[in-house]
Amino acid sequence: MDSAELQQVRARARRAYEWGRIRRAALGVAPVLPLVALAAYHSSRPGTAWTFGMGAFLLGTALLWVGREPQRAVLPGLAAGAVPLVLALCANQVHVCGPDGCSTLCMPACIAGGLAAGAGIAALGLRRRAGWAWWAGASSLSLLLGAMGCSCVGYSGVAGLFGGYAVGVIPLLLKRAVTPTGPAA
Amino acid sequence: MNTLEDAELDAWMARLADGDRSAFDGVFERLHGPLNRLCLGFLGDEADAADATQEALQKVLERASDYDPARRALPWALALAGWECRTVARRRQRRREVPEAEAGVRPGADEEEAFAQRKLVEAAMAVMGTLSEQDRETLTATFWEEAGPVAGATFRKRRERALTRLRQAFWRIHGLG
Repeated sequence: MDSAELQQVRARARRAYEWGRIRRAALGVAPVLPLVALAAYHSSRPGTAWTFGMGAFLLGTALLWVGREPQRAVLPGLAAGAVPLVLALCANQVHVCGPDGCSTLCMPACIAGGLAAGAGIAALGLRRRAGWAWWAGASSLSLLLGAMGCSCVGYSGVAGLFGGYAVGVIPLLLKRAVTPTGPAA
Repeated sequence: MNTLEDAELDAWMARLADGDRSAFDGVFERLHGPLNRLCLGFLGDEADAADATQEALQKVLERASDYDPARRALPWALALAGWECRTVARRRQRRREVPEAEAGVRPGADEEEAFAQRKLVEAAMAVMGTLSEQDRETLTATFWEEAGPVAGATFRKRRERALTRLRQAFWRIHGLG
């Protein structure tokens, strides 16, 4: 076999490898799809929930396809994102009525969920001494998943989620920055 | 391939399974030769062996992300390649059956012997397909005289059990012991 043929074989094998990874990645994130459908069904803005949900699915697939550090962000990102999602979906069913009328508890649930997700991701990231790819992947994934539920009160709910997430992450990062540590384990 | 090269291939394959693309060329280089030799041994024809090697390499690398670093990479790849050789052999048989029947060709003694040899290999591969993945890996490693997934006495016991199951399956399918 001459070198040109060998190069062709190598190129085909490389394509097969990438396709294999993409298929495996899509299958790995597929369990998110029923969650997206459930969130869209219970959401007052199903279009927005679908958009964020498909974004989470595509991002999860891409992270698993890339592999290495980004792929290790998928499970923590999904687990953290499930917290604001579930809180927001539950809160959306509860109404609080006052003299000015009734409203849901969606916004506080999004802020609290974002806070918990941010704190969880920060604690895990610091313990793992994760790199920027892990932080970016886990944060984006958890925010996209959480935003599916937080779109219940429009983009202000999503903004509340982002704010809560930032408040959850920043103190731990600051604590880490000011605390002297030993060499990585 | 010696033990050091085996260990090196295991490490390259584990990195590739984790998504480290820089390990791709190393895995490709180390697998191409052994897979080609295996296919040539099974098929006896260089062109068919090249086709089978190409398809086997694609299959192995397509499944590279499923590779379990606790197992040896070469027997795993050879078992997949053996299966691919069987598929190519079947395809070739179907392709050649029709023209030979139409031409009424009577093969010579050497051709008959080669044909019988190929038939035996195909029959063995068909029986191999009924065995577990671990048995297939063990028998492929034995055939190829490579280090199996485990070493020493455990491997010998595993080989004996796999051979017994191969004989039983051969007898069950082809009526021969």
